[in-house]
Amino acid sequence: MSRNIRRVKERAFLCGVALLTALAVLPLFHIIMTVTVRGLPEVVSGGLRFLTGTLSEGGIGPAIAGTFLLTFLSALLGLPVAFLVGLYAYEFPNSAVGRWTKTLLQIMLEFPTILVGVFVMQVLVVPMGTYSAIAGTLSLAIILTPYVAVYTHEAMRQIPFTYRETSFSLGLTRTRVLFRVLAPMARRGILTGGLIGLAKVAGETAPLLFTAGGLYESYPHSVTAPVGSISLLIYQLVQSPSPADHRMAWGASLVLLLIFLDIFVPIRLSLREVKL
Amino acid sequence: MNLAIETRNLHVYYGNNHVIKGVDLQIPAKGIFALMGPSGCGKSTMLRTFNRLIELNDGARVEGEVLLFGKNIYSPDVDPIGIRRQVGMVFQYPNPFPHLTIYDNVALGLKLNRLLPGEKIRERVEWALKKAALWDEVKDRLDDYPSNLSGGQKQRLVIARALAMKPRVLLMDEPTANIDPVGTAKIEELLFELKEEYTIVLVTHSPAQAARVSDWVAFLYLGKLIEVGPTRKVFENPEHELTEKYVTGALG
Amino acid sequence: MRDTFRALTLPAVLAVFIIFTGMLVVYFTNAVLAFHRFGLDVYLTNVWHASEDPEKEIYGIAAAIWGSVYTALIAVAVALPLSIAYSIFVVDYSPRWLKNPLIVISDIMAGLPTIIYGLWGALVLVPFLRDEIMKPLYEHLSFIPLFSYPPTTGYSYFSAGVLLAIMVTPFASAIIREAYTMVPFIYREAVYALGATRLEATRILLGYIRPAVVSGTILAFGRAIGETVAVSLVIGNTFNMTWALFAPGYTVSSLIANQFGNAFIYEYMTPVLYAAGLALFVIGLAVNLLGIRILRRWEENVP
Repeated sequence: MSRNIRRVKERAFLCGVALLTALAVLPLFHIIMTVTVRGLPEVVSGGLRFLTGTLSEGGIGPAIAGTFLLTFLSALLGLPVAFLVGLYAYEFPNSAVGRWTKTLLQIMLEFPTILVGVFVMQVLVVPMGTYSAIAGTLSLAIILTPYVAVYTHEAMRQIPFTYRETSFSLGLTRTRVLFRVLAPMARRGILTGGLIGLAKVAGETAPLLFTAGGLYESYPHSVTAPVGSISLLIYQLVQSPSPADHRMAWGASLVLLLIFLDIFVPIRLSLREVKL
Repeated sequence: MNLAIETRNLHVYYGNNHVIKGVDLQIPAKGIFALMGPSGCGKSTMLRTFNRLIELNDGARVEGEVLLFGKNIYSPDVDPIGIRRQVGMVFQYPNPFPHLTIYDNVALGLKLNRLLPGEKIRERVEWALKKAALWDEVKDRLDDYPSNLSGGQKQRLVIARALAMKPRVLLMDEPTANIDPVGTAKIEELLFELKEEYTIVLVTHSPAQAARVSDWVAFLYLGKLIEVGPTRKVFENPEHELTEKYVTGALG
Repeated sequence: MRDTFRALTLPAVLAVFIIFTGMLVVYFTNAVLAFHRFGLDVYLTNVWHASEDPEKEIYGIAAAIWGSVYTALIAVAVALPLSIAYSIFVVDYSPRWLKNPLIVISDIMAGLPTIIYGLWGALVLVPFLRDEIMKPLYEHLSFIPLFSYPPTTGYSYFSAGVLLAIMVTPFASAIIREAYTMVPFIYREAVYALGATRLEATRILLGYIRPAVVSGTILAFGRAIGETVAVSLVIGNTFNMTWALFAPGYTVSSLIANQFGNAFIYEYMTPVLYAAGLALFVIGLAVNLLGIRILRRWEENVP
């Protein structure tokens, strides 16, 4: 009898585990479905006007431009820094600075992004007297850098020690060994990290709240002027009571979702595992 | 006798581990000098003191002197990078850079160290590949990647890469340990040719190979130098009991 | 030559350190005014009295701190069983073809723009929770304090907690799943050789990776507490301090997001918000460091 009870317990356990797993992943499908179902009509009926028009024309063109601009600029600022930091952490893992760097990177990986935004606001927006693309860029770059640095570091660590030995045995300087031989060997992992970081910051909202300002009636024309983003626009639209605004929010979400998935999924599938 | 490498009271520590214990070794110039002994006795470690590659290991500490053609390479004013350009190295696992073509692999040291102007590099690459007995097999596919080469060919590519720098000494860390017998035979043949011009220090854990190939041999056991001398003598008339046990296969 | 490499990379490293300390300094110096005026009461009392007359301004963000902690706890309480179940399933029970897809899905969920979670949360999840769970519970069980608040709009600690749980499960899962995979095979073999059922075996193996589970929980907590836009869209942004799950509330991050825009009008609101940010900074830092430390120590001791 007790054997049967054990078996029943086991069955129940297995069912429970499967059920909970389904519950854990179900939301993604529901979200994708809802965004598509509610957003697609909006995009389709709006057509080109939706994608390129200004807000009063019923479109999110400037927001899309803003997202791309901010992502591009933050990549320009953050990727080189991240690359160098990652290399440092790889080359000097046991030095005090190296160890603190790794810890700091881990801390900043999941740091509340709103705090980054408020900080940048204080140091850039307040002195400049205006919201700006630069401020938004700095915010995003601060968030981007730890991600890509950690990816770089991990990618370099995958390189077998023998290649390090070989490069040095050829009498190459440390700079050349790292930049001309080893980093190129790890370029796939490094590039992947860069792209995943970019996919992430493209969708960020909180860091832009008090830095970018928002710009939806005209296309971005200067980096020292306010700029919008799709995520920021959605945030604005959701809080409005108007159903028309909500519909537009769904449409914008669909666009954002597509941008995100188009970068993230192919990169993720070409990798074997991902750092969160 | 002209000495290529000489160690005086060489001690090496990995952390608290005393790996090389007071070794005085003399390696004559030109010819093949074998370092043999059971696994873990410190042969590879000692080899890496000859080009200061040991410094890549964080916990390693070297005491004593290592003289390269009469000059102590561990004196504070010596730059390890300069040393490494004079000493070539071949490793246990054939390790050509997978992301570089065959040509670029051989040219790497020359290009990055700016040792030769562009046009001369091509000549040197061809020369190195010929010296490594690989030219005929790869001359039509220099732009290919090394992944298509056999183990033995890869190792000869690595030898070419080292030779391209025209080193005075060639260090070899069990170069045929992971090569099939045919490839091994080819490489041993190659060594016979190279020893006329180069000093080759060969670490091997096959006493048979040491016997086949080397002119002098040193037997290391647990970090100590047990016996050293011309190969013939050490194998036919070993002075030390441990040496005898090792060459007859009684020791692992 | 060694110096060239250092010279090239050290500035980047320094930049990162400088930014981090810069953040700390900025938050601290800007919060000082609030500390002078209100002392620790700014953290300990629940009051929000804005006024153009500085003498009349009184602020206390206890409600927001409570909300942050409470919702993060709810999130973790819900996320933990989900993450553990997911990890067990992926490693032990899932058919081969399902393993990688499941992991990829989890990673996508981890990276998905939080505003999309927020939008879906506000317009889809909240009405669902309100109608299917909160209203029935209120109607039948409102004598229990937890359920005693009338769920009119649905914006509440509960909704925020559930949404956060969905968002942080992938993070906890990644850590737990990785640790669970690393359990040495001989250990698993030994457990089954003793005749354990799968349930019993899983229990034992989970015990083996307990530090990783703890670490995953702590890191998920840290992540939940730092989340801003998604939470601010579903929590109702009201100054409440109650256990009642269905009551609306505030979190520190949503308070900052909501109030910063107009804070410059008032003399003391901005410093108070900086003090709030400082609190979030410190909590986030402490939590993250703790979680990392536990994980690292365990990783070092495991063969």
